[in-house]
Amino acid sequence: MITITRAPPYLTVQNGGRKHSRSFGVPRGGAMDLFAIRAINAIVGNSLDAAALEWALGGGAVRFDRDCLFAIGGATARATLSGKIVAPCTTTHAQAGEEFTVEQITSGRFLYLACDGGIDVPVLLGSRSTYLPGRFGGYEGRMLRSGDSVALGARPATHPAEGFHSAADLMPRYDSEIVHVTAGTQEDLFDESAWRTLTESDYRISTASDRTGYKLEGPALGNSLRTLPSEAGCPGAIQIPGDGLPIALMADAPTVGGYAKIAVVSEADLPILAQRRPGGSIRFQLITIEQSQRALKRRQSDIHTISQLASRSSAD
Amino acid sequence: MTPTPLRAHALGDSAVTIVFGDERSAQLLRRVHSAARSLEAAKIPHVEDVVPAYLALTVFYDPLHASYEEISATLMAACDRATHSSAKAAQSREHRIPVRYNGMDLEAVATSTGLSVEDVIARHSGRTYTVDLLGFVPGFAYLSELDASLQLPRRAQPRPRIAAGSVAIAAAQTAVYPLDTPGGWHIIGSTQTVMFDPTRDAPALLAPGDTVRFERVA
Repeated sequence: MITITRAPPYLTVQNGGRKHSRSFGVPRGGAMDLFAIRAINAIVGNSLDAAALEWALGGGAVRFDRDCLFAIGGATARATLSGKIVAPCTTTHAQAGEEFTVEQITSGRFLYLACDGGIDVPVLLGSRSTYLPGRFGGYEGRMLRSGDSVALGARPATHPAEGFHSAADLMPRYDSEIVHVTAGTQEDLFDESAWRTLTESDYRISTASDRTGYKLEGPALGNSLRTLPSEAGCPGAIQIPGDGLPIALMADAPTVGGYAKIAVVSEADLPILAQRRPGGSIRFQLITIEQSQRALKRRQSDIHTISQLASRSSAD
Repeated sequence: MTPTPLRAHALGDSAVTIVFGDERSAQLLRRVHSAARSLEAAKIPHVEDVVPAYLALTVFYDPLHASYEEISATLMAACDRATHSSAKAAQSREHRIPVRYNGMDLEAVATSTGLSVEDVIARHSGRTYTVDLLGFVPGFAYLSELDASLQLPRRAQPRPRIAAGSVAIAAAQTAVYPLDTPGGWHIIGSTQTVMFDPTRDAPALLAPGDTVRFERVA
């Protein structure tokens, strides 16, 4: 078990999300940074889709109620275990009763904490992820509060060595200014000048940004678009509402919507956008769908590399 | 009339949207729904979800095992076959949803439409609706088509919280709110029917193409 001793402002259980319920109007949801959650699951020797804690907006503390091999990743944090610094993307052994503390998230937005065995909450619609707008999934469909305890799955028979560290070059470049996009389903509704604006301007992440979507601030895209008949969207889709300012849909965005989608963030780069804080800026660069899918496969193979290195580190 | 040729477009790395036409119509919607049902039934490898909408359907797939080029060709061919075969009737279901017409906007709707409350109720419960689309929130079904005399624009100020089970109207559509959510539709009644339950195998009561009748209860 893990007990929340001092809850941060935001703490939920997440995994890869729901891939077979969109036709019922259920968004994919799941971790905002799918790369980070898979990578730290790989580091601690879990299946890549194991549930972990998604932590944001500030410090807090949790207690391990059993011995546990854990790792943190995604956002960068000043974190300690019983007073000792916890390094990112590195396995750390905690004894039952030890307390893990995040003093502060220093860069990025979403920190992931994975323990060997994974968080054991009921699977709903194929996933352990919390879907806050629908109040289901994860731990009672809500954020974790001080005093809550979440169960952990059984510890695997073998696990990576303590101190196993995943090299930084296997992680996305979270500081990259460039976020790659492919052309969206309504690309033809935007003229050349709109495309130039989108790809040649810096866009700032607005404070109006959450798990549903990130509103972007910068030059408006000249367009006189009415709302279109609704159709499916996806995390990463960049839609242009009436004010011409882009909104990037994120994990919990509704499955359908009526704004024109000019572009879609490449899944390989979606973690970079997801981890950008309000006030941080990005620039979009258009690539082809072939390039984008290749980039995603490279990310996936990096995660498999981490998995293999982690399992070889096991001293037994 | 010959249907417009299908067009495919990538929606990011993991989805393809197949467009069936450019103008909304009941006929086009039936084509989209029936193609979506055949795609579901075909169990095409690496396909995760099929989401039908007004002019298009979107198929989500696993891009680590199928490239956009491969999957879009497969899906276009399957949609083509589906639209040209009249053999398989889409297996839509009929639902009856009991409604207490006690909504907080019922009087205001009567005033705005110039009808009596009794007339509003009679016209809302007096016809069969078709599920156009699911979305907005899990299990939220957009139902068409509302009696012309009941069609009002959405409320200027959406409410921050509408209770699950609220029966509402806006423009040419009606719906039941499946969860407590914000909303801008006019609330005319409520139902005990559970529209969405994540613990059920089919979590949403209604599916695209299904028909619904609302039955007045005291």
